[in-house]
Amino acid sequence: MEQTSEPRQKTFTCQLCGLSSPFTYYGQKPPNTRAIVLLEECFVTQDPFSPDKEKFLVLGSTCSMCSLCVCVGSDCSLFYTKRFCMQCVNKHLEQFPNQIQAELAKKKQSSKAAVS
Amino acid sequence: MDSDRRRDSRSWDWDSPQCRAQLDEVFFRRHDYIQAGSTEHREFWAFFDRFQRFKTRKEMSGPGAKEDRKKTGSGKVDLGLPKEYDARYRINVSVCTLDVEERLGKSERRGSQRSSGPGSQEISDCRLALLHFLDFSQRQSFGKLAKLRREQKNLPIFQYRDRIVELVRQSPVVVVAGDTGCGKSTQVPQYLLAAGFNHIACTQPRRIACISLAKRVSFESLNQYGSKVGYQIRFETTRTPVTKLLFLTEGLLLRQIQQDRSLAQYQVLIVDEVHERHLHCDFLLGVLRSLLAENPDLRLILMSATINIKLFSDYFSRAPVLQVPGRLFPIQVIYQPIPPDEQPSRSEKLDPRPYLRILQGIDQRYPPEERGDLLMFLSGVAEISTIQEACQVLATHTRRWIVLPLHSTLSLAQQDKVFDISPPGVRKCIISTNIAETSVTIDGVRFVVDSGKVKEMSFDPKAKMQRLQEFWISRASSEQRKGRAGRTGPGVCYRLYAESDYDAFAPYPVPEIHRVALDSLILQMKSMSLGDPLSFVFIDPPPAASIQTAVTYLKEQGALDSRSELTSIGSLLAQLPVDVVIGKMLVLGSLFNLVDPVLTVAAALSVQSPFLRSAQHNPDCTTARQPLHSNHGDPFTLLNTFNAWVEVKGERGGGSRKWCRRRGLEEQRLYEMVNLRRQFKELLRSHGLLEPQSSAPSSGDRGQRRLRLTERKKLHQMKRDHEQQESSRRKVLRLEEGEEEFSSGSDTEGAGRGKKDNEAGQNVDIQEVKFKLRHNVSELQEAASVSQDMSSRQQSLLKLLLCRGLYPQLALPDDHNSTRKDSEQVFHTRNKQGVVIHPTSVFASDPEVLQVPEGDNGEMGPERRDSSRHQLLAFVTLLETNKPYLSNCVRVPALQALLLVANSVDSNADCTRLVVDSWLELELRVPEEALKVLSTALALRGEWERLLLAQLGQSTMGAEQGVSHKVLEKLSEGLVRFLLYTEITYSLRRLTAFQTQNLYIGPRPQEPAPEGNPLFPGVEAKPDPIKGGLRVTSFFTYNCLADSKDLYSECLRTFWSCPNCDLYMPLTPLERMQHEASCRPAGEQQQSEEEPEGAKAAFSSSMSSLTRVYHCDVCDEDLTLTSTEILKHKRQHMYSTK
Ligand SMILES: [Zn+2]
Ligand SMILES: [Zn+2]
Repeated sequence: MEQTSEPRQKTFTCQLCGLSSPFTYYGQKPPNTRAIVLLEECFVTQDPFSPDKEKFLVLGSTCSMCSLCVCVGSDCSLFYTKRFCMQCVNKHLEQFPNQIQAELAKKKQSSKAAVS
Repeated sequence: MDSDRRRDSRSWDWDSPQCRAQLDEVFFRRHDYIQAGSTEHREFWAFFDRFQRFKTRKEMSGPGAKEDRKKTGSGKVDLGLPKEYDARYRINVSVCTLDVEERLGKSERRGSQRSSGPGSQEISDCRLALLHFLDFSQRQSFGKLAKLRREQKNLPIFQYRDRIVELVRQSPVVVVAGDTGCGKSTQVPQYLLAAGFNHIACTQPRRIACISLAKRVSFESLNQYGSKVGYQIRFETTRTPVTKLLFLTEGLLLRQIQQDRSLAQYQVLIVDEVHERHLHCDFLLGVLRSLLAENPDLRLILMSATINIKLFSDYFSRAPVLQVPGRLFPIQVIYQPIPPDEQPSRSEKLDPRPYLRILQGIDQRYPPEERGDLLMFLSGVAEISTIQEACQVLATHTRRWIVLPLHSTLSLAQQDKVFDISPPGVRKCIISTNIAETSVTIDGVRFVVDSGKVKEMSFDPKAKMQRLQEFWISRASSEQRKGRAGRTGPGVCYRLYAESDYDAFAPYPVPEIHRVALDSLILQMKSMSLGDPLSFVFIDPPPAASIQTAVTYLKEQGALDSRSELTSIGSLLAQLPVDVVIGKMLVLGSLFNLVDPVLTVAAALSVQSPFLRSAQHNPDCTTARQPLHSNHGDPFTLLNTFNAWVEVKGERGGGSRKWCRRRGLEEQRLYEMVNLRRQFKELLRSHGLLEPQSSAPSSGDRGQRRLRLTERKKLHQMKRDHEQQESSRRKVLRLEEGEEEFSSGSDTEGAGRGKKDNEAGQNVDIQEVKFKLRHNVSELQEAASVSQDMSSRQQSLLKLLLCRGLYPQLALPDDHNSTRKDSEQVFHTRNKQGVVIHPTSVFASDPEVLQVPEGDNGEMGPERRDSSRHQLLAFVTLLETNKPYLSNCVRVPALQALLLVANSVDSNADCTRLVVDSWLELELRVPEEALKVLSTALALRGEWERLLLAQLGQSTMGAEQGVSHKVLEKLSEGLVRFLLYTEITYSLRRLTAFQTQNLYIGPRPQEPAPEGNPLFPGVEAKPDPIKGGLRVTSFFTYNCLADSKDLYSECLRTFWSCPNCDLYMPLTPLERMQHEASCRPAGEQQQSEEEPEGAKAAFSSSMSSLTRVYHCDVCDEDLTLTSTEILKHKRQHMYSTK
């Protein structure tokens, strides 16, 4: 069969939740966004929900501790000066500030309530 | 310096636009990520206000708890996190704006010289807000993406994703079967895209589905602002060269196949909703089945509900089937057969009691806080309004229901209401036809009431009539209706029939191909060279009789010749996506100078009527409509309406909405007309039937052009804005919604007015915007004014064109109509007696114009009414509902129209008795007049045919010049004169069955040989093998009627002098017609020689060569003579021997 497809799209997949989506750039300086600098190396795509072609969307990055590839969803990772996957956050929870600990505890509770 | 700062700071006002503008220069410059003036910029400042308020609140609640972090235990890794918490550490973005640039010394601006403006505190406040805003926008977009992926994953079809792709790779045809809600229509195309398939077409039975699917799938495939996913329907397309997935209608794909059998542009074809068994879909499957053999690389996917899957699989040599379970909540079925005393009898209205009981039962059993609407399925519009009326009484009383009708003849605004939300404690009661079974999906329905009935169109080939009849539904439809209750939660379905009835239902609905006229289908098959339609392998072949009827009809229409091959007009008609009759009008119109009105009429007759039925009983509407009416016929009324609307559009633009409302017009239909009209024009142009558009730039100088360009830009922006808002706009219904709608009987003026006008002010009239983008109003206005100023001559010519297009759809007024009431006027068609005019027709309110004027009645008594004013009706549709109704009628002068358009005209020896199509008999009193009118008609028709063929030949052969203007002018002049000034008295009546049996003398062995005696030169006049007499032209047989005399009987000879030449001799009628046909005034003869070569070449039957070889037995010589000369020559021998 004639496959006239363009170079296969690169796909980002979160290793925790499985979310996957094509990405167009990996790094700290997304193209066409002059003034933007990311504070970590990220998987970036054009923001599909904005009519403006220059708007970007960060899909995820790698955990600074275990190098797991994770999405930026709050169930999978957390950024606090660096990216931490949820597994690593839970492992070192006591080193995170109280605000974050409280937030996470609250979230855990509400998700438990939703399940039961 | 320091003091300056402080003073500035004190005077800093965050709410002042000037202060904000100063910050804009720091953060939102032209090359920054967010620019001043953009949507994001507006959103930022809104966010800023919220952010500041949040910060103040936090500061007031005092400092947070002291950091009390445990020491890192020994042996544990230190993450190196900052000691002090700051929300800023949670943001992974930094922005390099003017302040940073200045700090880094990059900027050219001398920051230190800024004497006023924001101080460092303001800048850092704004900067912090910006970072949080960017983080917030990221979270928002990512949230959308995550939600989308979650929803996709939750669809039942998701787990079959890889399997589907694998099957498509392996086998040329795959059947995917899944019930409503399994996600097949949106997901399967995406799976293929993701798997690397590139040119995918997905057909839909409905245009609206093409648009909504393209929208949804482009959103889901994260390409909502690109054109990777597009749609193509009759009037619009969003397809671009980068489009990889295209949603299109079945009809459109068929047209594409017609143009390119290889379908090289597609890699995969998906045919969705095949179980609906629409005519086009069944045909498409048949065509694709034969195409697959020729294109082994093509992949075909059939998608269906879980109905009759084996049928589809077997049709494609047992294609693999993938069955996906649907996602329906449990639905309780309650059988509530209607008790005998509440059963409607045939003539009566529906008894509403069984329906009301259900509403009351719901009120009793379910607390109003538990949401859930009700959807009722009834068979037709009349039934809906009966039940609606009764339910509304209940609703007004209990204030717990909003009653809304839903059917396709409602205005779009009214249809749209069913999607709005009811206020708390109130349920919607939607009373619908089967439109809500598949075409329209309404969320939030918890209760379904199924009457078990449906009205369906069927075609009666014997009466040549469509029939709208009520039937029991099939089990498949019944299940489909039930399923509508379980889309958003568990539901209840009340069936107003017994379970034993259900068991007796047919398993599936009758496929459309078994119910409808197949004319267009057969025509298309012919043009696709698919061979004999009778041997084509349909998935479920239509009855042979139905195909035969269509072939006969197409022959009558002149689209097929006697060997069932396409004629040149037929092959053109096959290209036009319209009914054969409409197509014929277009082609005929292109010949004469009547293109503009014909385009409008053809478009108007192809869409639903813009006249809202509900407004008919509104006296204000009726009065306002009056000036639009034409007593020549409904197409003329439509023409007037369209022209007047265009006029209003040109003068007042958006004001047309109000203009329409006042007249009870559905403006949407007029928009459809104008679009269709444009499409017709392009079609004619692309087939060489219209001169190409003048390439001169639209009028006006550069300034004007620029103005128009800016306007277009603005319009485009408005369209985009509208499209963006559209999705998020569901209104809450008011309790009075149903009442109002009902009491006023229409959605025109009245109580709802203030609200409506408000609405109009708030949102743009998107149709008006699209209209302006698509059409050049002044050009349209010009066209409109051309057809508005039509003279009575042009009007009668237009009528003739319409009549020829519509032929053989003609109806004869009954003899006794003058003694009947207006509402009881009766008409007859050739195949169906006793039809009536639809109440919407102009002739229903004004039938006198169809009657032969009093006093015009000859001395022959009532059984034979002689007049020169007999009229016939040409009609577009004959549809039987409770009565057989004619709609969209035009009146035409009977004798003239018949002679000019009928397929079969038979005469007696002196042509005083004519029989048309073996059903109408015309008796002319004066033989002299009869001969004259007949020979004029023959000459005009011959010329008309010749020019039409030349025009068509020119379009196919691409000859340089077409038919010359002068010749055309002369023909139309002749036709008009014939139509308007033929003053000849005759009687007109239908033949009885007995008369039809003994109509013709039949062939006679002793018939004098034709001895080369053609009426037209070049056309052989042969004895007709069935009727007897002489077949003079394809449509005229002379002297074949049973009362006919001997063809060459000397007693028929009368002395006659030709007005054109010096001939004066005793001639039989035939000889005389023959002479008239060939003898032209001296001045004209040259003209035919001027005719371009192309026209001549295209004209197959060499009618233009006037001479032929004649062998004279007396002289024993071959002579090259015109037929008149032959006649003279023979006569010379005749007299010399005497
Ligand atoms: Zn994740
Ligand atoms: Zn980790």
